[in-house]
Amino acid sequence: MSTSVGLVFFIGAIGLCVIGIAGIVLSRHLFRMVLALAIAEAGANLLLILAGYRWDAVAPIFTGTAGGQAMVDPVPQAMVLTAIVIGVGVQALALSLVIRIKERYGTLDMQEARQCMQDDLDDAGGVTPSRSRERPAGERPIPAPTVLNSTGGQHD
Amino acid sequence: MTDVSLAVVLPLLGAFVLPLTRHGILRSLGPVIGPILLAACALILFAAWSAYDVPYAVALGSFAPPMGITFYIDDLALLFALAVPLTTLVLWPGESDPAATGRQSLTLLLAGSLTGLALSGDLFNVYVFYELAAVASYGLVVGDGRSPAYVAAFRYLMISALGSVVGLIGIAIIYFKTGTLNLADLSTLSGELADPQGLAAFAMLVIGFGVKAEAFPVNGWVPEVYGAVGKRVAALLAGLASKLAVLVIVRILILVFPHDETRQLLLVLGILGVAVGELAAWQARDIPRMLAWSSIGQLGVVFVAFSLPGKAGVIAGVTVAMHHLVVKSALFLLADRWDRAIESLKGAASTSRIGAALFVLFSLSLLGLPPLPGFWSKFLVLGGLAASASPLQLLAMGTILAGTVIEGAYLLRVVVTFYARPDAAVRVPGQRAGNLLGAGLFALVLLTAAVMINPLWQGLEVLAERAVDTNGYQHTVLGDREAGR
Amino acid sequence: MIGALDSLFLLALVAIPLSLLLATSRWGRWLLVAGYVIQFGLLVTMVSGSSPPSAVSFSLLGNDVGWQLDPLGWLFAMITVGAAGFAAAYASGEWGETHAAHGGSLRWLYGGLQINVLAMLLLLSSADFISLFIGWELTSWSGLILMLLAGGEAIRAALRYIVYAIAGGMAVFAAMLVTSAAVGSLQFDAVQAAVPSMSNGQLWAIALLFIAGFSVKMGTMPFHLWQAPAYAFSPGPASAFLGSISARMGMFAIALVAFRLIGVTQLDRLAIVPDWFDLRDLLAWIAVFTAILPTFVAMRQNDARLLLGWHGVGQGGYMLLGLVMADSLGSAGGLLHVFNHASYQAILLMAVFAVIHRTGTSDLNRLGGLVARMPLSFLAMLIGIIGLAGLPPMNGFVSKWMIYRALIIDGHPLLFVATVVSTLGTVLSVYKLLHNTFLGQLRLEHETVREAPWSMTVPMLLLCVVVFVTGVAPGLVLQYVAAAQQAIGLEPVAFILGGVEAGSGSLDMLWISAILFAGFGVGAVLFYLMGGRSRRVHQLDNYAGGHFLTADVQYQYSDNFYAGLMHRIKPWYRDTFAWTESALVSVLGIVSSAARGFFSQANPASWALVGTTVLMTWMMWHALA
Repeated sequence: MSTSVGLVFFIGAIGLCVIGIAGIVLSRHLFRMVLALAIAEAGANLLLILAGYRWDAVAPIFTGTAGGQAMVDPVPQAMVLTAIVIGVGVQALALSLVIRIKERYGTLDMQEARQCMQDDLDDAGGVTPSRSRERPAGERPIPAPTVLNSTGGQHD
Repeated sequence: MTDVSLAVVLPLLGAFVLPLTRHGILRSLGPVIGPILLAACALILFAAWSAYDVPYAVALGSFAPPMGITFYIDDLALLFALAVPLTTLVLWPGESDPAATGRQSLTLLLAGSLTGLALSGDLFNVYVFYELAAVASYGLVVGDGRSPAYVAAFRYLMISALGSVVGLIGIAIIYFKTGTLNLADLSTLSGELADPQGLAAFAMLVIGFGVKAEAFPVNGWVPEVYGAVGKRVAALLAGLASKLAVLVIVRILILVFPHDETRQLLLVLGILGVAVGELAAWQARDIPRMLAWSSIGQLGVVFVAFSLPGKAGVIAGVTVAMHHLVVKSALFLLADRWDRAIESLKGAASTSRIGAALFVLFSLSLLGLPPLPGFWSKFLVLGGLAASASPLQLLAMGTILAGTVIEGAYLLRVVVTFYARPDAAVRVPGQRAGNLLGAGLFALVLLTAAVMINPLWQGLEVLAERAVDTNGYQHTVLGDREAGR
Repeated sequence: MIGALDSLFLLALVAIPLSLLLATSRWGRWLLVAGYVIQFGLLVTMVSGSSPPSAVSFSLLGNDVGWQLDPLGWLFAMITVGAAGFAAAYASGEWGETHAAHGGSLRWLYGGLQINVLAMLLLLSSADFISLFIGWELTSWSGLILMLLAGGEAIRAALRYIVYAIAGGMAVFAAMLVTSAAVGSLQFDAVQAAVPSMSNGQLWAIALLFIAGFSVKMGTMPFHLWQAPAYAFSPGPASAFLGSISARMGMFAIALVAFRLIGVTQLDRLAIVPDWFDLRDLLAWIAVFTAILPTFVAMRQNDARLLLGWHGVGQGGYMLLGLVMADSLGSAGGLLHVFNHASYQAILLMAVFAVIHRTGTSDLNRLGGLVARMPLSFLAMLIGIIGLAGLPPMNGFVSKWMIYRALIIDGHPLLFVATVVSTLGTVLSVYKLLHNTFLGQLRLEHETVREAPWSMTVPMLLLCVVVFVTGVAPGLVLQYVAAAQQAIGLEPVAFILGGVEAGSGSLDMLWISAILFAGFGVGAVLFYLMGGRSRRVHQLDNYAGGHFLTADVQYQYSDNFYAGLMHRIKPWYRDTFAWTESALVSVLGIVSSAARGFFSQANPASWALVGTTVLMTWMMWHALA
């Protein structure tokens, strides 16, 4: 019984990690990347707790009752507490960066933000940009395809 | 004996106290707190060095290992720990604009956590200090709030956080298999970690700690960040923080995973780093990104050096790492005012003779002109590689040599541009006195090292001997020779 | 009391800051020339056999590093200091002032010259591989200083040079480390003793890497593209110095490593096709192609400096050819050619730069007829090209004769024919140089040109005397060449004052020169006996086709010299090597863009994920396999 429950937890933890990492790598929206990061960190923390878990033991807190009861390993739990705090701090910082990026560049799309950053860096350094920032000359011969984009902002 | 932990605690304390000095009576105290604390740390570490005889361990909170947190002090740890406050002092952000307190606070945080990384003997403690350094560096990257810096900081944060998640999973795997995270204890159990899961855990740890060390697959952030931040911060990150991250990986390698496969992993990552870094730098058109890619290449050489087995690897690695610390920090200091396209710096030598001359000196040392220390570091690395007949190591040797040729091409292109006749239309900025002083200090260190190669080498032999002595490490930490509080 | 070698090093070292300080004043420059004379004198005192080792020796990283001058190094050192002294004298007078007036830096010219001399002395007196490498790298980099001085078109040539030089240096570095790994020590004696016990593979690796690395400096094919422009575009005296001796450092190093350390018997272990074609044959063919192809490239040049630069590359092929014959006559010819070439290349470059000094151009299509205006420069160039072409009674003839003789004696008829083809090209090409500069029609704009100042003509004429005397009595130099041969383990040549004594036919230049001048003497006697009828005519007083010709009309064209020959061989010039070089650079550019593309990822973490997956798969595969 405990092994199958344990297996579910393991698969859940690894699954959370995978979902989170996939989210970070595959998203284009900055906020989604932060959320995915939160999920991934949750998965990693869960994995760490599972590393020290014993299925028939109690929480590692001295309650004054007679000893001899098996307790789960407190060391990973302490580590996870630290990791959660670190994660919270990093996520808060990430969110504040997202807010600032939206303020400065007006976009929450990773590719657009990256392009704006490269253009600013090139301008500041006096480097001629590697691609032209101008629109093509003349009129489009064929109308542009309609872009269904839920991340906000039409590009053409 | 507890003095050494003060070197970690004092900068952290200073970091938290500094924001209090923004207003009110303590305002005049603000600018000097940081340098004073760093100087105090340097003195503490100097005192520890002069009193130092054999490696010892400090158990924090009197919790005996393997239960508690230990600090392990040997030559290697002291060398890197001493480098932290000294380099931070030279690269101290001394501006007095309104955001200065925040910047100085973050720098102290970085310094404290890097010292902790050098001294720590427990894997989770390493993780915590590493994350602390990472968060401090995110803040430093944002710096004075230029728009590209926000995007660069976010991208850096994403890679670093992803790396940390992967690293945490690696730590979880190690805990699953061995039930302990104390490095000495893990060292006794290293045989258990030689199976697929263990080696996968090592790979994950390399990804996790390799972000700061600019290791190959996770170094995409480097050119953007070094291009977007102020160059003194870039000097701190590229020169100092990366070395400490490498130190952490090397400690784990030597103590916990001393197998051929793990060394081969470092070798391959090093070769890829050298190749990608030097090739990308060849097409760089502005100074900061050129230095960023060059730094990736040099850190690849550091990885290759540390992948050599035994004493030779540690000596070669420490030499290359220390040389790069000095040279790259100085180059970034010189790039502080010259962070623009290379063509627009035509004739920079006439605006700042000393700056251009120092740039030439550091370039020659990077290229390995004897008798500068850069030559000796290359000699040690390549000598160790040539001593084996394995094709991968000969490939590494060829890559490093080819990388040097490419490095010569792009560095000399810059030097020639500096010494060309200036364009009448373009005004090349001169160097700030503070940066020139810092770069001059680094040049002094370089030239002193060039003259004192022999005593340095003898010291390094002893350092390497003690660093690879895993039995001694275990005995010191777990056995009867520790010095608790 | 410090030894002679140490005092030489000390003097050269002290002279560097002195050069930087004193070069801007005329008497300062003369003082520096005196410094070179003193250095030369110190070298002369070290002529007797092997001098004691330098007191400057230390142990670095477990290896002993020291310096000691042997006869081979002494020979090259004499040429080095001599060339530097003549170059310094050349620049000390009016040339220097004009150069400074045009914005050139005399400090760095003289300083760079002295740095070069010190670096070459360090290289030539090395006693182990670390000191050899230190000297090698310092020589490469100090050459860069001289090349960068002129600015403009010289910069590109200098950058190309330094990339080649770093690549060559890295090959030498790799060879040095492989040797250290194979032998366990970097001392020359230890390596020499350990070579017989090395495996063929190791010896191949060491020999190829060393010879390739040293050949880059020598300018042998396929590493020859950098040399001519880099040497040609440096300022006058620097060009004379670099062109005469700088590339020969590679020759010294090859003689040292391939012959003294490895030795001919061990070298013959390295067979490409057993019993038929081995490494020395390969080197001989490479040398002979280096002698032919650049010489014909020189023929096409219209800039006098480039023409001479390409000849420098070609003559290096002769030297290498003679050396790899490894017999007493051929190797002596090769080593003697180093000295001879240094002497007449210096004269020729000095003469060309004297012409540039007076006329402002080195374009062979814009010069002509200067023989009456600059007779001393003409005389110098004449003697120089007779030496370069290898005709008696100048010294070039002796060394070339010895090489030809060695080729025939050793049974290499094809190599002999190829060498003769190269000499043919040389003769044609140097005549073009002389004719286009001094003969033919004087241009109107050059009518008021005067002879070069004494400070420039005296060094040239002194060198002409050297060329002539060592041509008539080559034994003067051959004694040192024989000592050098003994130092590298080859059989010394049996020399006499007038040349060589060999069983299959001797060469006695004293007799040959005597007969030659007797012939001239007979002709002169006949001429004057018959009344000495000669009339002086003004150079511009010409008459042809019923007209008095005026000087502003061009009636003698010297451009497109050898039009017929060029038409024939033009299809052969396919610029293959230049194309290969630019193709390599393009490939590098493509790979570099790919590497940069790695960093332009949209999502910062995608490579991290790919990398993590790959790494973990690899580690687990490793552990399971």
